[in-house]
Amino acid sequence: MEPVIDVVNLSKAFGPKVVLSNVNLQVQEGESLVVLGGSGTGKTVLLRNIMGLLTPDQGHVAVEGRIIHQLKREELFETRQKIGMCFQMAALFDSMSVEENVGFALTRHTTMTRAQIAERVDECLGLVGLKDTNKLRTSELSGGMKRRVGFARAIALKPKILLFDEPTTGLDPVMTDVIGRIILDLKAELGVTSITITHDLKSAFEIADRIALIFRGECIACESPDDFRKNPHPVVQQFLRGDADGPFLQDPPPPKRALARAHHKQHINI
Amino acid sequence: MLTKTLENIGAKVMGALAQAGDFAVLSGRTFRAIFKKPFDGASLLHQFNAIGVNSIPVIVLTSLAVSAVFAVQLAFGFRQFQAEGMASGVEGLAIVRELAPVIVGLMMAGRVGSAMAAELGTMQVTEQIDALECLATDPIHYLFVPRLIAGAIMVPLLTALGIYVGFWGGRMILVGVEGQSAFVYSEGFYQLLSARDFRIAMIKGLTFGIIIALVGCWRGYRAQGGAEGVGNAPTSSVVTSSLWILVMDFFITKLLLV
Repeated sequence: MEPVIDVVNLSKAFGPKVVLSNVNLQVQEGESLVVLGGSGTGKTVLLRNIMGLLTPDQGHVAVEGRIIHQLKREELFETRQKIGMCFQMAALFDSMSVEENVGFALTRHTTMTRAQIAERVDECLGLVGLKDTNKLRTSELSGGMKRRVGFARAIALKPKILLFDEPTTGLDPVMTDVIGRIILDLKAELGVTSITITHDLKSAFEIADRIALIFRGECIACESPDDFRKNPHPVVQQFLRGDADGPFLQDPPPPKRALARAHHKQHINI
Repeated sequence: MLTKTLENIGAKVMGALAQAGDFAVLSGRTFRAIFKKPFDGASLLHQFNAIGVNSIPVIVLTSLAVSAVFAVQLAFGFRQFQAEGMASGVEGLAIVRELAPVIVGLMMAGRVGSAMAAELGTMQVTEQIDALECLATDPIHYLFVPRLIAGAIMVPLLTALGIYVGFWGGRMILVGVEGQSAFVYSEGFYQLLSARDFRIAMIKGLTFGIIIALVGCWRGYRAQGGAEGVGNAPTSSVVTSSLWILVMDFFITKLLLV
């Protein structure tokens, strides 16, 4: 079966800095892929290539068989209507209210009446647990609420694909769990294909059908959560442990305080 | 040393050409997008209000001040030759041909062009423009087009307002202070003018409106680098559009005033 999202030999560099190098990923219909990786390893760049916001240096991204960077602008917009993108910081239109944000794509791309749009906006806000916030300005929302309004905006056009860019970064653990549950609910109720970028291992294992790890621009693992846990690759194991010591960091981390104290004491005794 | 200098000059020239090319491409895309659907009437009305209606007080005040001070200068100058009667005619000529279009253009570049650059710059660095793209909406069509149309319509109208207020600013000084006859002033103001002068003033207003909107949107759209980038966008928008307003003023005058 042809994958819904097919990332083939994708490479992208900004000047001398290689961000993605020969990345290959396939996401099947209805599948939920979670992409893990350290900060600055090119996870967001991957999503931006899928959305056609960036052009690959080499390789390509195909969505439903259409190679994104080869599409004409009108064709690209057609494809984008099938994809809902949830930005890291929500990227809500700050000159608009919550309902105007959520209904934006409906107003522009459908022939729905105002009443129908209002109904769909309510439905979307209900799915993310934000009923009765329609009239609020975006400046009146908390970080978690903004993300959820961003989700509601992304699902308004009933997309087949959802992309989440670090949906839980900067949120407290409870809100992180709420967001994780909403993503699971969306997956169950809408049956969408999704790619989620996150640092939060707990929600990653809850959400994922498969987990990929990007390390220094390369995809070093892409497998089921159980296989990922057992993967002997030292980088995977270090990432799962959340330990600073190991091959993950390019520069050596600062010593732990206890170790540093012991080393200092030894130095004085000498 | 010489190679290095030549390299630097070459890099600067290439950079300037790249910028000019980028501006030309975005401008072309904006004009092409004017007739694309959907037509966003609410956004256009909002821009008419932001660019036109909200600028009325500042245009009235600046036009009044400039025309009044120019009338003071003219009254003083012509008094040296006992030719005070000429003052109203020259006042009219200067206001319609140059002062109103250029002062309105420069004021609008400062008030409206900078606001456009700041707004779009903020949208760019907070990923709102990427969000527009992801919602299958062309930012050029959604953001540039209403501002361009509103600029192209409202700046000529504000120029007409500037001329009207300029008439009264001159009258205030020449009739109210210098004691000239109100009838002579009104007759004299239009004496040296023809319909062509008003037409040129409107063409200047239209051109300046287009420059202000396109440069403001372009600078904002290309803002990058967080707060510093957003801060630089309005400044460079005002400087660039003011320069182009003055340059185009020369060419329009030279080409059409024959």
